[in-house]
Amino acid sequence: MSVAAPTVDGARPRQRGLPWPQRYVNVLGPLVMIVGLSLFMAVVHPPYFRISNLMIILQDASLYMVLAMGMTLVITGRGIDLSVGAIAALSAVVMAMLIKDLGVSVGIGMAAAVLVGLACGTANGLVITRLHVPDLIATLSMDLVFRGIALVLAAGVVLSQFPEPIPFLGRGRVLDIVPMPALIGLVVLAIGWILYHYTPLGRYAIAIGGDPEAAMLAGIDVRRHKIYQYMLMGGLAGLTGILLTGRLNAIQATSGMGLTLHTIAAVVVGGTSLFGGRGSMVGSLVGVLLLSMVVNALVNLRLDFFWQQVAAGVIIIASVGFYSSLQAGPGTLGRRLAGLAGRVQARA
Amino acid sequence: MVTGTAAPMLEMRGITKYFGGLCAVSAVDLDLMPGEALAIVGDNGAGKSTLIKVLTGVFEPDEGEIRLDGKPVSIASRRDARALGIEAVYQNLGLVDTLDAPGNVFLGHELKRPVLGIPFLDNRRMAREAARVLQENVGIELPNLREPALHLSGGQRQAVAIARAIYSTDLRVLVMDEPTAALGPEETRNTLALMQRLKAQGIALIVISHNLEHVFAVADRVMVMRGGRRVGLRTTANSTKQEVLGLIVAALDEPVAA
Ligand SMILES: Nc1ncnc2c1ncn2[C@@H]1O[C@H](COP(=O)(O)OP(=O)(O)OP(=O)(O)O)[C@@H](O)[C@H]1O
Ligand SMILES: [Mg+2]
Repeated sequence: MSVAAPTVDGARPRQRGLPWPQRYVNVLGPLVMIVGLSLFMAVVHPPYFRISNLMIILQDASLYMVLAMGMTLVITGRGIDLSVGAIAALSAVVMAMLIKDLGVSVGIGMAAAVLVGLACGTANGLVITRLHVPDLIATLSMDLVFRGIALVLAAGVVLSQFPEPIPFLGRGRVLDIVPMPALIGLVVLAIGWILYHYTPLGRYAIAIGGDPEAAMLAGIDVRRHKIYQYMLMGGLAGLTGILLTGRLNAIQATSGMGLTLHTIAAVVVGGTSLFGGRGSMVGSLVGVLLLSMVVNALVNLRLDFFWQQVAAGVIIIASVGFYSSLQAGPGTLGRRLAGLAGRVQARA
Repeated sequence: MVTGTAAPMLEMRGITKYFGGLCAVSAVDLDLMPGEALAIVGDNGAGKSTLIKVLTGVFEPDEGEIRLDGKPVSIASRRDARALGIEAVYQNLGLVDTLDAPGNVFLGHELKRPVLGIPFLDNRRMAREAARVLQENVGIELPNLREPALHLSGGQRQAVAIARAIYSTDLRVLVMDEPTAALGPEETRNTLALMQRLKAQGIALIVISHNLEHVFAVADRVMVMRGGRRVGLRTTANSTKQEVLGLIVAALDEPVAA
């Protein structure tokens, strides 16, 4: 709370707009790191910049783009969804079984995947708002539930060989170059940007995340909008399930394990505040790209997989620390944010 | 201003509100005449904020009824209250710190503009309208409209909260909970002047304040609460600060009301 010292001369600006680096800091932080990484790779390993490799990076980033859109809204609304990987797997398994075992048409199978995702998201929203279970605990538990159902359904079987357009959506190349899922991811994030800035969905996520009490006093149905946020997240996880299936043209109940924490990490790196009320779709895009670039760089440098984990954790702490140190406000918030992000990644 | 014959525009009858076992408001009656300013005073925890939150749809009363123009109304949500022309500036102002001034002014009743049939938020018009209301009706110009409320001064924050409450065109009752508590002398003067202007427009005011100076400057009547009950009602013209203070601290007791 900022309460001004009494002024004698009335309404006088205490402070003009944020200086520019702070205004764009959420995008700037990861952007600076992208540039730094690029310079480093240009010197150490120029083949990193081959078109083919850049497209691999995009392909790798695509699922996270889709998930990051929903996650940005959820986290802006002071929530978190730890079940998105399980929702993606469950949606994919249901779709796969409908198509392979029951002979349902591919279109209906894909629609079912999205519907399963929406249903899972709705379940999350209801558990959080009606049973008053904190978001973190609710979605952590629902992660087990969704993953468990997927395991029961698929019973350890790998389902593969799906009809088009599933493989095309998951690994197709438009004009033989651009990965189709990356295009989908970019479109989803663009829609997310519109939702965030130009619809009540985004505006109320900011309000609820910024101050739930004030949102309620303004007449916003806080519970309903939290449910909407988780529904959207679930639907996008369902879409991710389709892309995940298409990527290897195969799916099993244990697929998509690392999706959740990687997505949260990218969103947080992109400047969306874990304390709610502040987020950025553009930041999330940059965050997703940065993480995929780092992972790809480490692969190119033939570093061990486990070092990739360490590097990802360091990146998150560095970027979050970078912008929270620039951000106005108490330093403790920045430190807590960095600590939380570090812990989130540590479990990845 | 208050004549015995005029019909009250707003009547609250026997309002009672419990929080668990605690009776925050107990069988309180309140009448409000058109264009009248009614002050509610009382010690901390007397139930003032709770009473007006019942009126503005934040809490549902456990007992009692509310009548507007003589007709019973049900106010089950903030939206209901708003639809009846009852607006409020709450004690903590109820602003979202991470939203800018236009975002706060229009929070919960955003202006929209259809694009391809989809109603998108009209951020530009909201910014224009917010600036206009702030300037014309509240008398303040924000140096940077896009600044999150977090960075505004106490007076600016309050201006935004007031702008939100009075933006509604069919405003009939404005409730202000401690409107001058966080303000400097000039901002306080502005706020008191604004209240006089609103009164002159026929808008009824309910003002909660601990500052009897301000109460006697703007209010026509003053209602004293203690322990959730109404323990006194005075016309400011026929009373003194000493008398009201006595009622607040229970030095004077009023057997009829208590
Ligand atoms: N949401 C709530 N839940 C539980 N108890 C509450 C709640 N709101 C208020 N109370 C209690 O109800 C009583 C009346 O509170 P209220 O806020 O109405 O007092 P007030 O007269 O506005 O005081 P102040 O002058 O300090 O603002 C207090 O004992 C308070 O603790
Ligand atoms: Mg109060």
